[in-house]
Amino acid sequence: MVLLNVSCIQRFSTGDGPGIRTTVFLKGCNLHCPWCHNPENISPAPVTLFFEKAGKKESYGRMMEPRDVANDVLEDIEFYKKGGGGVTVSGGEPMLQPEGVSELAAILKSAGVPTLADTAGCVPWRSFETVLPYVNDFYFDVKAGTPAKYSSFVGGDLALIENNLRKLVLLGTNVTARIPLIPGFNDSDEELKRIGELIASSGVAHADILPFHRLGVAKYEAMGIGYTYKDTPPLPRERVLRAAEIMGKYAETGIE
Amino acid sequence: MSILADLKSEMKAPPEGVFYPDLLRARGLSASQNETNVNVRADGISALFEMEKPFIYGNDLIAGSIRGYFFKITPEEEQFTKEWTDKYPERWFFTGFDHYAPDYRTAVNIGIPGLIERIDTSLEVNRKPASVALLKGMRRTLEAFLVRVKRYAEKARSLIGSEGYDDSRLTFIALNCEALLEGAPKTFAQGLQLVWMLHTSFVAEKRYAMALGRADQYLYPLYAKDKENGILTDSFCEELLANTFLKIVEFRYRGFDDVVNIAIGGVDENGDTAVNDLTYCMIHAVRDVNLPGPNLSARVSSNCPDRFLDECLKSIGTGLGYPALMNDDVNMAALLKKGYELKDVRDYCMVGCIENFMAGKQPPWSDGRFDPIKYLEAILRDMPGEELDAIKTMDDFMELYEEKLELGTAEYISWMRNITKQKDPDDHMSPFISCFCECCIERGLDINNGGAKYPSAHGAALMGIGTVSDSLAAINRLVFDDKALKLSVLAEALKANFEGYEELREKCIAAPKYGNNDDYVDRYAVWYTSTLSDMFDCYRTLDGGPVYTVMASNTSNIDAGREIGATPDGRLAGRPLSDAASPTYGCDKRGVTSTLLSVSKPDYTRSACGSVVNQKFSPSVFKDGKREKLAQLIRVYFARGAQEIQINSTSRAILEDARLHPENYQSLMVRVSGFSALYVTLPDAVQEDILSRTQHEDV
Repeated sequence: MVLLNVSCIQRFSTGDGPGIRTTVFLKGCNLHCPWCHNPENISPAPVTLFFEKAGKKESYGRMMEPRDVANDVLEDIEFYKKGGGGVTVSGGEPMLQPEGVSELAAILKSAGVPTLADTAGCVPWRSFETVLPYVNDFYFDVKAGTPAKYSSFVGGDLALIENNLRKLVLLGTNVTARIPLIPGFNDSDEELKRIGELIASSGVAHADILPFHRLGVAKYEAMGIGYTYKDTPPLPRERVLRAAEIMGKYAETGIE
Repeated sequence: MSILADLKSEMKAPPEGVFYPDLLRARGLSASQNETNVNVRADGISALFEMEKPFIYGNDLIAGSIRGYFFKITPEEEQFTKEWTDKYPERWFFTGFDHYAPDYRTAVNIGIPGLIERIDTSLEVNRKPASVALLKGMRRTLEAFLVRVKRYAEKARSLIGSEGYDDSRLTFIALNCEALLEGAPKTFAQGLQLVWMLHTSFVAEKRYAMALGRADQYLYPLYAKDKENGILTDSFCEELLANTFLKIVEFRYRGFDDVVNIAIGGVDENGDTAVNDLTYCMIHAVRDVNLPGPNLSARVSSNCPDRFLDECLKSIGTGLGYPALMNDDVNMAALLKKGYELKDVRDYCMVGCIENFMAGKQPPWSDGRFDPIKYLEAILRDMPGEELDAIKTMDDFMELYEEKLELGTAEYISWMRNITKQKDPDDHMSPFISCFCECCIERGLDINNGGAKYPSAHGAALMGIGTVSDSLAAINRLVFDDKALKLSVLAEALKANFEGYEELREKCIAAPKYGNNDDYVDRYAVWYTSTLSDMFDCYRTLDGGPVYTVMASNTSNIDAGREIGATPDGRLAGRPLSDAASPTYGCDKRGVTSTLLSVSKPDYTRSACGSVVNQKFSPSVFKDGKREKLAQLIRVYFARGAQEIQINSTSRAILEDARLHPENYQSLMVRVSGFSALYVTLPDAVQEDILSRTQHEDV
């Protein structure tokens, strides 16, 4: 039996796709982006966070049958159906659990609820093939346009990612590119230009810029680990607008 | 600066002395040449209007202030006043005094002279001495009211050329007031001037929470006519409204805020949406005022345009918290069950916080607190342990609880009726307000003595639906399902406030909680609403009206909690009960959709007064593009039969910082169940209560 390694289920998630959505966060990621705002989802192992200031303890990670996850999220079906909403699988890297995601999405599809996968795309193409019968919507991270940046900073293979992205577009799935705008990493005009060219050449029509924030800092503290971006302030508004302007030449661009 | 901002700063300086209209009333009572009680009273009320020193702000567009009722009182004056007001004591909240929505529609349609004409007609047919006396008293107060309007006109004219005043504005005020002396208002500004002059007159009578009712409906014909004639723009209309609504805040000179309900939207006499362009002006005006006082309520019917809901959410998103969103379909279904005519039901409004009300058709509202958890506590506290342990099933336990609740409701009703009886209707007539209640003039009867079209309705405000449901679920789970706990042991633990029973308390806390879309516990909320409504449906008010159930505790859940020991849901003694119709704070852990799925399960068409569900959202959900999701959420929630939602858009971080640095947050608004308030002014317990509300973060 396939089980999903679920971190948490978040309802009325308003930043993860159209309409009213529930996001199923899955545990385990094969990248190590230093700015990650969900550090609790990187390791597949269960983890408990102690939030000292609030005096709160939260545990993440339990193995669940896709059917049970489906039953849980389908409680909100009336809300999804009101305005094109549905379920988003995120993480971590949801595409590391393609069988479980596929089974979950199949059940949801039979109930008329679409599933969107929020992925960094650095997985064998076979994983996408597994979910494609049931998943048609993708949020696909494009974090950099330079192979070296990918390999050294986040541990990803840009060639594989680009290849997957092209194939998804060619197959006619609904792909939105997501660009985390990270100070000092990819926010230079040149790097953004490269990202833009990559996106345009892949045939992706829409891109969202996700400006860096450090709201995840409390999680790092609660896990007792260091955070490179602890003291990095959010990007100035002009910088974000400039990025959107550059990206706008390559794809219809929004700011999340 | 805008006129509104200038008026705001002008209003900052409080009047000298104390709010003491009774001094004028006493002068009127003492000077009265009448003998009949109601006519002496009418002279007392008339003195309020005839002896007041009118006050006009330099930035007034619509005049009418309560500053003329502030005095520096000498001990002699105080004694004199007391002597006379004791002879003619007024009613109070429980006996039908305030929380009333006057029949402004008729007043606007026919004007005060028109009302006087109606009284004269009635005098020709109603020949009973009591009716004649009352009608003459009513007439007397209306004439005095016109004197008040006239004195304002004279004051405006006398101020022309004075420093700090604008001649064209003063002329505008004078002309509008003078027009009201002649007949019905002919323009929107005159209509608003009439309503505001009446409202402040009711405040001079010391009434509180007097609603403006469906102002977007009864003022609409004048608004539409002015627009057609090209003498009114929406921006000027909004300015007039804001200029008026801001003066509701004058009440604060008395030390606390008024709660003046304004019901917008809803349906018309045919059941079609009643949302119109004036509705939007009202939302914008209340948003511009941005202060507690005008309590905006949106009647959100299933057929209302999306723009209406969106404009409401925009206003809420500013942090103001207004309007509260009411499910119009459910409210109307609930009122129809109480036997009101369909056309009247379609024209209902709210008074006070959320109380559904037949505008100008029933005596003033009253309600009291009923604590169902007290009777659960009584069972566990008073029954001997062996008798408790002899209860074998949850059904048996529920039967026992229902018996206790039946006794409790009977006790409550006796209390309520005894209070009502304290005021002999023949000796406590209210001639002025009776002029603004349908049928009083025609019947020649007082508003509280059979004059109103419908009899009085009373609300039994049920405390703690969450606390009760969670407690019953804990008992069912631990005692009857798991058989892991004896009822007698639970009873001992509660008596000990869980001291020495910490492990048991953990189990109680871990039991299913209301607000997570879990039928195991939600069924008790369903039971709570219908069972208690069934019980109260057996009773009538003294004049034959219905007893509604209410699930809008305001902040009484804190007071109620102080009187209740530890409860089976794990709550410690003295802590607040769950608020209004909301789940217990912090216990709805699965997210807002689950909370709303739970909260929409009870049958609120049984709760004719209304209910309150408080929810907090981070301000980012109110941005363009996200707001529509909130609208979808509310549409689904209402389609499932929920009754109300009021939303606080202030982030938790801000609230926490405001506790540490109140000086930086002097104008921070929050919604306390039922109305908005300045956060820094709230007592600690209430501040904590707001903080502990589960916030649905937009992540």
